[in-house]
Amino acid sequence: MTGPSKKLLSIQSHVIHGYVGNKAATFPLQYNGWDVDALNTVQFSNHPGYDSFNGYKYGSQELYDIVSRGLLNGLKIRYDVLLTGYLPCVASLNNLNEIANQMKQMNPDLKWIMDPVLGDNGRLYVPEENIPAYTEILRRNQLYLVTPNHFEMETLTGCKINSLSSLKVSFHRFHELYPKAERIVVTSIDLSVGENEVGDQNPFYLVACCDTTTTRGTGSDEIEIYFYQVPKIHAQFSGSGDLFTALLLNALLNMSSIITLSAATSQVIWTVNQILERTYKLSLAEEEQEHNDKRINNNINKKKIIKDLKLIQCKDLFNKFPNREIETLAAKLLD
Amino acid sequence: MPRLLATQSHVVHGYVGNKAATFPLQCLGWDVDCCNSVQFSNHTGYGMDKVFGNITEHNHLDQLLSGIFKNFPNEYNALLSGYLPNKDSVKCMGINYKKFKKQNPNSIWLMDPVMGDEDELYVNEDVIPEYRNLILSDSSDVDIITPNQFELEILYGKKIIDQNELKLALNHLHKRIPVIIVTSCDPRIFHDEDYVYCVASMRGHAHPLVYRVPLIDSYFTGVGDLFAAILLDRIYSLLNKEDEEISAVSDELVFEKQINDVLNVLQRVLHLTKKLAPKNVKSKIGSALDMKEMELRIIEARDLYGTDINPNEDFLYSRL
Repeated sequence: MTGPSKKLLSIQSHVIHGYVGNKAATFPLQYNGWDVDALNTVQFSNHPGYDSFNGYKYGSQELYDIVSRGLLNGLKIRYDVLLTGYLPCVASLNNLNEIANQMKQMNPDLKWIMDPVLGDNGRLYVPEENIPAYTEILRRNQLYLVTPNHFEMETLTGCKINSLSSLKVSFHRFHELYPKAERIVVTSIDLSVGENEVGDQNPFYLVACCDTTTTRGTGSDEIEIYFYQVPKIHAQFSGSGDLFTALLLNALLNMSSIITLSAATSQVIWTVNQILERTYKLSLAEEEQEHNDKRINNNINKKKIIKDLKLIQCKDLFNKFPNREIETLAAKLLD
Repeated sequence: MPRLLATQSHVVHGYVGNKAATFPLQCLGWDVDCCNSVQFSNHTGYGMDKVFGNITEHNHLDQLLSGIFKNFPNEYNALLSGYLPNKDSVKCMGINYKKFKKQNPNSIWLMDPVMGDEDELYVNEDVIPEYRNLILSDSSDVDIITPNQFELEILYGKKIIDQNELKLALNHLHKRIPVIIVTSCDPRIFHDEDYVYCVASMRGHAHPLVYRVPLIDSYFTGVGDLFAAILLDRIYSLLNKEDEEISAVSDELVFEKQINDVLNVLQRVLHLTKKLAPKNVKSKIGSALDMKEMELRIIEARDLYGTDINPNEDFLYSRL
């Protein structure tokens, strides 16, 4: 590699052990040549999916000073991309509006990619007051890409998603409420949720995306939504969403040729799935080794909880894409 | 895959401390768990009025480290400690690391006793006894230290003005520490100031090795942190040998080659950094916009961290 890297400010959580938040995003982005300035919103020993964790949150004023007084006004850094993920408190979220404004003054072409972290699997894991803070950000700012998951899309639009048609309704609602959001990718849509009490019956989950810039100016209200069926791995991972957003950022903004959102989404689904499958295999092998003589009676039907992605063992996958025509994976969502 | 816990500084922008160490080690296959002793906007060379952010309070640091070792009591093959902002944080790191080492005697602890450079302290004086205690006490558990000349003199307790004194200092520290790498020796000891001298000494080997690398005329930061990281990668396997068959002779040869390899990585990264900087920029402390151009090109150097990458020169100069 030669030549200077593109500059990115990533505002997310930090864990010492494991790969979520900035720890999930930084290495893959750096490996693809990004100069990542990582601002940590918390420092925890590990993610809360473990039985215990320790650590602390950084205050909103401290975070604001580091960016505004330090990086922007002190060092005059001109960023190409702002990536925001988990922010623990509403005051830090509110400051993002001002931070993004200042960054745009230095680079009018700044691209803001936001993962609106609110919760997952029907459960909110930030304070309730963070929701209006996000809707305010979404209303006020031009966002290059927003990547909510199923639950976050429901929360931000007020639409329940339990079928393809309700998914489509939620996209339209999102577009009405937040017309400044240019691209949306909704991850881990599980249509089996709510249909029956057992859940997990559907062997696929969906990813859906919509690029509103391609229809803008045509006078048409119609937006094109693509969706993808992704086979479920019988396990629960932490950090896969953070990894997905980081790799999508790279696919959209670091390629030598211009790529459509639907093609980029398709590529990254493939890559993340490869990483999850390898993580799954390596984790199983490790476990078998640990229990070599113990003959643990593993219940195959029980969903595995994989605590940490095997990111280091997957670096060869960070910039590898399938050879086949990936666009064909996508299906257009029609009424 | 080997796993490392590194406790040192974090800067949002630029490459010192954990930001200089983590990416290269990840590229080399290490799982790097980073405990950040501070979070600053950038390193202090930009001028103190340009640094924003805070240190990690020692009670927070203690919670993090004890939490980590409680949840992962046997997971680390190596421990690294670098810049810590004050006496309490050094003490806290020391207590937690020692506990882990007691339970995992095969793990390797590399300590960079960051106190200052070129006769100038950049920590409070009360930090000194903490490092002296961790390195020199009977119960020291540190395997590798990487002081510069100034830090070596602090640990030894005397100025070092010639090769003989240097050898005495190394022997003194070897009573407790198996591997000592003096990252930059005063060139006057070797009567030629156009070079940088690095002295590497392993307990039990016949002579400390003196390496000489060309001086690149610029003010780089984070070089020592990158050095410690690459060093740990290269000599981890040497210290952690479960394979008893390696004879003492081949052991010395491997050590000699590995240190030379570490210096080659550093040279490659520094040359690339200089090559990519705009012309006429020669950073000096306090000039913020120039400093920005001389941050190590850690990302662009992605493919330069491995072994057997050209150029690979022989920097061995002499033996003490």
